[in-house]
Amino acid sequence: MMPAMLQYVIDALSLGSLYALTALGIGLLFGVLRVINFAHGDFISVGAYALIVPSANALAVLYVGALPWPLVLLLTAMSVIMVAILSELMVFRPLRGTTPATLMIGSFALSFIIQHLLLMIYGSRPKAVNLWPELTTQVNLLGLRVQKLQLATVGATAMLLGALTLLLRTTRTGVELRAAAEDYQMARMLGIRANTVIAGALALSGLLAATASLLYTAQSGILSYQMGVPLMMFAFISTVVGGLGNLLGAVVGAFVVAAIEVILQATLSDQLRPFREAFVFVLVIAILLWRPYGILEAHSSRERV
Amino acid sequence: MVLPKRVVAGLAATIACAFGGPVSAEDIVVGFATAQSGIEQPYDQGGQRAAIMEMEMINAAGGIDGRKFRWFIADTKSDRVQGAKAGLEAARQGADLVVVSCDYDNGAPAALSAQNAGKISFFVCAEDAKAGIQGVGPYSFTASIAAPVQGATMAEWAIKKMGWRNGYVLLDNTAEYNKSVCAGFDWAFPKFGGTISGRDTFRNDDASIAAQITRLRNMSSPPDVIMLCTYTPGGASAIRQIRAAGIDVPIVNGMAMDGTYWTDAVPNLSNFYVPVQGSIYGNDPDPKVNEFTESYSKRWEQAPPSSYVFPGWVLIECYAEAAKRAGSTDVAKVVAELEKLHDFPTRFGPRTFTSNLHIQDSARYEIIGFTAGKPNPVEYWKISEPVPMDVLFRR
Repeated sequence: MMPAMLQYVIDALSLGSLYALTALGIGLLFGVLRVINFAHGDFISVGAYALIVPSANALAVLYVGALPWPLVLLLTAMSVIMVAILSELMVFRPLRGTTPATLMIGSFALSFIIQHLLLMIYGSRPKAVNLWPELTTQVNLLGLRVQKLQLATVGATAMLLGALTLLLRTTRTGVELRAAAEDYQMARMLGIRANTVIAGALALSGLLAATASLLYTAQSGILSYQMGVPLMMFAFISTVVGGLGNLLGAVVGAFVVAAIEVILQATLSDQLRPFREAFVFVLVIAILLWRPYGILEAHSSRERV
Repeated sequence: MVLPKRVVAGLAATIACAFGGPVSAEDIVVGFATAQSGIEQPYDQGGQRAAIMEMEMINAAGGIDGRKFRWFIADTKSDRVQGAKAGLEAARQGADLVVVSCDYDNGAPAALSAQNAGKISFFVCAEDAKAGIQGVGPYSFTASIAAPVQGATMAEWAIKKMGWRNGYVLLDNTAEYNKSVCAGFDWAFPKFGGTISGRDTFRNDDASIAAQITRLRNMSSPPDVIMLCTYTPGGASAIRQIRAAGIDVPIVNGMAMDGTYWTDAVPNLSNFYVPVQGSIYGNDPDPKVNEFTESYSKRWEQAPPSSYVFPGWVLIECYAEAAKRAGSTDVAKVVAELEKLHDFPTRFGPRTFTSNLHIQDSARYEIIGFTAGKPNPVEYWKISEPVPMDVLFRR
């Protein structure tokens, strides 16, 4: 019984890590732009599709994905960051100064456009990619059989969270980002360059999306033009549960949502299991009723008097 | 309203291209209300191409009693509202037969338009039993085989041929197709002496099925076979994760996982079986199937992506036979003749339609097994009794 429970803990940790990577990207941009970027899931899809030769043929041919892993990381990250910066220049910057609702609709439109561009270039048939198969093998950890990929996902999340924390606390860009997240207007008045900060935030969120897309593709082995959407939805819920605008909150929220999902999958009866999502959302509502601003409330989430 | 000259010229060119030549009153007109763009396009394309090949072959042989097939395309753009319009457009342009999208949910709007206009419609490859009298109406047919037959075929074959008696059902509850495949397995597996010792569900877009794998791994007695009811992309991801967890138990699935376009996702895919209507891999025991696959690849400069191309050929074969027997394209007469087809030998196996059912409740399947990523025909299997109506419709 005990090993089974530990196995479920590992399952929740690795799923939570994937959600956390995505949630961090969403949370980072929300902090600066005050917008939930619904195209973030599509950034993940772009990262995954960057691995193959652009073609609508049924059989996918590896391109970037066939290179040594440091190059895969670099080129995928560059592809996603490029799309993120283009999104800033073509969508978010022209909409700067409009209401958050307009920005959100802009991000929806961007998501729709990216999905349909992928559909046009690659077709709707899913594409198979055997990325890093060695990561799908298992290791014995304290009597448990754990996939190397699960360890890599947890490790990459921990590392990126650590690096992000360091960047935000010790570098000038980090301080500017935090200042902008705290009070964007005041930060601008104090001389922080808005365009640089926002482009920086988007690039960082692109980097996180690229990491998520590589880990997700290594796990699933298959690409589809809407592959990032479910990750985006659960990560969005995670940021709300954790506390919108609080990066640590986004991570905590991601692990809470993943834990709820895994616990329900493990404990619900046969008849109730198909309705797992309904129970997940009931629990999410319960958490929000208990803490309306999320588990870790952001300083900036309440209006100051 | 005066239309600009360029628009008029464009419209004329479009209509001419779509018909591919002048239409004579004697022609048998087929309207394809199928997706030429968007999500459904690759799934409709194969069946449509096969149908065109069969019509070209009949035309080359002189047509049906001298009447040749002509066809045109009304694009549904993978949109259900547009699908209803495309079905109506096909009917208005005088189609004797309206061919609608492969998937039931996506093809039904066009089929309903055709039904309302008093036209015969064929789904390219729908496998929901509603694709016919019960869901659309008496003029609606599907060229494929009901999804529960696939689950039942794999159940009976698993027990009788392979001796796998301890089953585990893993259902992707995102689509009705999956539920129908599993319903067929649930009906047949215990019937032939098997025991379903565990079951679980997942969603096609689940980021991970690690929790489902943990449950499977913790079974007190490991199953002999896993009935997986799913499709790509989630199906490929699920199999990759199951195999990565070191579970090498044989996995059987419905026809939706046929094709090698997804198998790179699972390194050295082995011990995996699907029922198909014919092998697309050029290694079918029936040379007629291989001949078709070769002609398809030559004609379209692309190999068939999955065995869902075959029903496209079958539908024209069945319609042509019924029209020939009826001696006309009169709807009532052709429908009556279609309903008389009993074990009619098509290139891809016998087909039967009755006045109660316009989909196959039993059929000969070819089992394809994957070993080290390579698909090979294993054998033909036909269930010993048809799937009953309450299982077909999951009542």
